[in-house]
Amino acid sequence: MSLQSPAPHPNPLPASGAREFPENGPRAFPLPVGRGEGQGEGQATATRASARPVWGVLTGPYALFLLCLLIVPFANVALYSVHPYSPTHIVLPEFTWDNYRKILDLYYLRLFARTLQLGLVTTIICALLGYPLAYWLARARPRMQTIGLFLVIMPLMVSTVIRIFGWIVILGRKGLINEALIGLGLAPLKLLYTETAVVIGLVNIFMPFMVLPLMSAIERIPPSLEEAARNLGANWLQMFRRTILPLSLPGLISGSLLVYSVSISAFVTPALMGSPRERMAGQQIYDEVLVSFNWPSASSLALTLVLFTLLLMFAALFATRRAGRIEPGSRETSP
Amino acid sequence: MSGRAPWLLQPFIVAVYIGLLAPLVVVVAVSFGPDPNFAFPPSGLTLHWFAAFFASPTFVAAFFRVSLVVGLMAAGIATVLGTAAAIGLVRFRFAGREVLETFFLAPLLVPQILLGAALYLFYARIAVGASIWTLLLGHLVICTPYVVRCVTAGLVGMDARLEEAAMSLGATRVQAFFKVTLPLLRSSLLSGAIFAFIISFSDINLALFLSGPQSTSLPVHLFSQIQWQGDPTIAAASTLQILIIGMLILIVQRIFRLRLMV
Repeated sequence: MSLQSPAPHPNPLPASGAREFPENGPRAFPLPVGRGEGQGEGQATATRASARPVWGVLTGPYALFLLCLLIVPFANVALYSVHPYSPTHIVLPEFTWDNYRKILDLYYLRLFARTLQLGLVTTIICALLGYPLAYWLARARPRMQTIGLFLVIMPLMVSTVIRIFGWIVILGRKGLINEALIGLGLAPLKLLYTETAVVIGLVNIFMPFMVLPLMSAIERIPPSLEEAARNLGANWLQMFRRTILPLSLPGLISGSLLVYSVSISAFVTPALMGSPRERMAGQQIYDEVLVSFNWPSASSLALTLVLFTLLLMFAALFATRRAGRIEPGSRETSP
Repeated sequence: MSGRAPWLLQPFIVAVYIGLLAPLVVVVAVSFGPDPNFAFPPSGLTLHWFAAFFASPTFVAAFFRVSLVVGLMAAGIATVLGTAAAIGLVRFRFAGREVLETFFLAPLLVPQILLGAALYLFYARIAVGASIWTLLLGHLVICTPYVVRCVTAGLVGMDARLEEAAMSLGATRVQAFFKVTLPLLRSSLLSGAIFAFIISFSDINLALFLSGPQSTSLPVHLFSQIQWQGDPTIAAASTLQILIIGMLILIVQRIFRLRLMV
């Protein structure tokens, strides 16, 4: 089993990454960066005459789709967030900033503090456990790498619910660990429905988001650098600290930001493994939308969280772009 | 290994893999065990819970009538939408192309639970009730970026001069696309479609908000069953999902680049 595909890839990708489009195509003149979601009409003048707005016909449907089902829904959320809540009408047609002011209440401050803290702990553990794995994968023989990669990505693709279910079986009151403890004559522990359980679940679920960008970053560091450092008398730790770690820093940063931003909006993990008293922001939003129907409040929370996450994501994008690549995981290793 | 890393590395890697895979292994093992209390390791071997799964109308409906159907439709539509978008992005130069490219991958940057909430509130605003179709539209938002990514990578890896050669030999742009480009893109198209299916099939965050009582997807049904502490039928259904997804990922790994996933 190999990563080599048959006909369709005569040339392996250049190291610059998949989304770095080759500049060999006929490019007209320095083009101004325009609006994002153009439908094609009216912008043809800015394009080469021969290209005509064919690109508009091709990209238009998806752009329109995203406009309707991504931009408009979030605009709707923004709209809800500045209206007062009413138990009878859900939303009143008045304007208010109260939903945002309320975020500064002690309850919500605690909620956000707990969410951000759990996210941070998850990220740090993911980095500590994921770094060695990423290093090993990056330096493994192609065959081992293929198998290793499969074993990292396969759990990522299985539904979160199923992985959390597995942890419930392991950590539960009559779970694998407690049965073992009882078998050893020890008292069972309360493992499930604690913050520790939530962190275990989050680390398990989001580990691949740390490993894959890191692995790509480490792969681009030539092994000869390591050998040179060793030959010059550095021990393994010195070599690691002076060469691998600094050179893989962009991967570490983008992996960390990815893990952090997905953990702080987690819902399923804290809902199934956490204590009902120590909830995370995602649970609060879910309840306010579907249980208490306080849509204005849910909207202000969701918008705050989404803007914060986008900020982190663009920081991650920027970190990888600075390292010469746009996205983690898109590079093909030369065989 | 060329790195000659310290001897501690290998056992550490094994431990991390055990942690990564433990929940899946346990779920699969429990689904074959006779104990309704999820005893692990199982004390015997039985297919009882699989029989129970196929005998349960709610599980069968969630699996076959909702998750599978929505997943296949999402994969098909996302492949068409995403392929067109990717070709537009890669083969044409126009003002704002990079902005459009970022916009096309934007659904991957938005936390899914918040996207689900936003779509729910949007459907509520325009008074559309939850059904298979609301779920499908939601899944298309998160599936299509994967197709865009796969096809973009395939197009970039492909020599654009092949198309130009076809056209200089008299083919129209459309003919060149269907006769030259599309066959060469086969494996990236298939990978994109498979990713799209998997994303839809295993999604829970959007489905929690967008599934109605008549359109409960498998993960959502599993979610409520876990909350109500159901029997190992949950594990049997999970094992089936793990099996399907595992096989699909093997296919992608054989034909294309798995790493486009993250």
